[in-house]
Amino acid sequence: MTEPFTIGSTRVEDTFAEAFPMRFTRLVITAASDGWALEAARSATGFATSVIGCKCEAAIERLLSASETPDGRPGVAILLFAMDSEGIAHRVLDRVGQSVMTCPTTACFDGLPDGDKTVPMGKSLRYFGDGFQASKVIAGERFWRIPVLSGEFLVADTAGVGRGVGGGNLIIGGRDEPAALDAATVAVEAMRGDGIALPFPGGIVRSGSKVGALKSKALPASTNHQLAPTLRAQIDDSLVPADVHAIFEIVIDGISEHAVRECTRRGLHAAAAAGAAYVTAANFGGKLGEFHFPLSELRDPPAGRLKTPPALASADGERGES
Amino acid sequence: MSLTLTLRAQPPVRVDASPLTPERCNALNSMRVAGLPLRCGRETVQVGDLFEVGGYVGDGTLTLAGDLRLLDRIGAGMTRGRLTVSGDCGDRVGAGMGGGELTVDGAVGAYAGCEMAGGVLRIGGDAGARLGGAYPGARAGMTGGEIVVSGHAGEETGAGMRRGLIAVGARAGDGAGLRMLAGTVIALGGFGNHASVGQGNKRGTLVSGAAVEPNPFRYAFAARYRPPALTLQLRRLRALGLDVADALIAGPWARWSGDTTELGRGEILIFDEEES
Repeated sequence: MTEPFTIGSTRVEDTFAEAFPMRFTRLVITAASDGWALEAARSATGFATSVIGCKCEAAIERLLSASETPDGRPGVAILLFAMDSEGIAHRVLDRVGQSVMTCPTTACFDGLPDGDKTVPMGKSLRYFGDGFQASKVIAGERFWRIPVLSGEFLVADTAGVGRGVGGGNLIIGGRDEPAALDAATVAVEAMRGDGIALPFPGGIVRSGSKVGALKSKALPASTNHQLAPTLRAQIDDSLVPADVHAIFEIVIDGISEHAVRECTRRGLHAAAAAGAAYVTAANFGGKLGEFHFPLSELRDPPAGRLKTPPALASADGERGES
Repeated sequence: MSLTLTLRAQPPVRVDASPLTPERCNALNSMRVAGLPLRCGRETVQVGDLFEVGGYVGDGTLTLAGDLRLLDRIGAGMTRGRLTVSGDCGDRVGAGMGGGELTVDGAVGAYAGCEMAGGVLRIGGDAGARLGGAYPGARAGMTGGEIVVSGHAGEETGAGMRRGLIAVGARAGDGAGLRMLAGTVIALGGFGNHASVGQGNKRGTLVSGAAVEPNPFRYAFAARYRPPALTLQLRRLRALGLDVADALIAGPWARWSGDTTELGRGEILIFDEEES
């Protein structure tokens, strides 16, 4: 690590974020209203923060207008990441079966028709129809009609799988917890967008981890003690600057290296503009992943204005209206 | 500019036009196309004897023009490319098509799209009997692809159909969906003799945009709902150029299940105008 640099008044460590290859799929969930589509999407992407503990990482990518969806209804695009295609297949089956099919008025479509592989979706879920299911091939794509209590659940036969990048990250510190959280929140809003999943609650992690543990060989991960401000006086290798008293991490999964790089750039500059005292990134010395994102290469601000985040909370009141 | 064959005059007898497919003609220059043999009744003539050959192979489109009612099997068996026809055609247009796009801006005769397996067949006028169906004695008709008719369709539309989509902008004649195995027949203007709709239907879907009273001995009312798959199909038809009203896409539709004298897993979906 070399000398830190600054963006505005924000001190930025000259280090890099390290990420690794993952497989991903994109699902398009539609429903009779924005609210129900969001309900299904939130449920389907719930408890999907870390592939270590949840077997996948998932998040809402963006809201879709009726003109953008196959059936002309409001929708939500979600991204789901796992370590391999088999993992994607299991998680798609679990989450579409338990969270999308169960949600009133929904339908589920393949949002990655050009993926380099496919995994079964309706092809497996159809058995829930107990022999009463039927399929239709529409414009060359097979769909399954599964009878349910309110009519039919329509689901695409398969979901496309692509090669993505997981584990990108940005670490944001502030003079106190509210300041750090404000900066992280602003960064998350700037980072959300096409091709990006920020899988933790609100896109933010407060329990950043390191690989393994000091005290136990059994733990795959434990608290990142070097970035815990309360341990600053207790350990010799603290990385927390003197003026920083709270830190949050943002974990980034993306559909490509470029998407993660530009997302990191947006986050870095948004955090600096929001008054973050300190920004750094986590890596494992280059041993964990093949994708490296040096913060020093992201000094140039993103092209154009910082993107307005999708209004994920705005449709809550519309639930149930059709 | 596409390769264009314009009929000089009505042939004396019926002509088998099946050699005039885009994949075959687009591999040849206009002189060679003019030399292609065509069966004309019991004789063989050359394309140049019947057609004026103009244009050149540019965008891979073959165009036939003129009063082609005595020409049968236009586009039959084509697998790729685009064939457009300006005028009315004879029988078996697009029969056995495996792919590509065949567009006719006039009317077509019987057996259009019979035993079709893929591709898109658009008919701007009316279609004759057994649209997308099976030939007499054959078990299965259309096994894939899409047929869109802007006008009316004749009797036994989709007879023996196994897969695919047939859409009729106006009314389909008596006996639609006869012995249908699967697939979808949509008639936005409704069907002819109501009692004959979907006789022997096993797993197929018949969709009527106008009121129909299914044969009560064969079909039983199930529910009123908004079928999501039908929404996709109707939107697809719009994309293919058929005029589909918003009300039809919004629904609701009444579902009748049958034919109960057969497998009983087929359905007739009838637009519920009063509930819409």
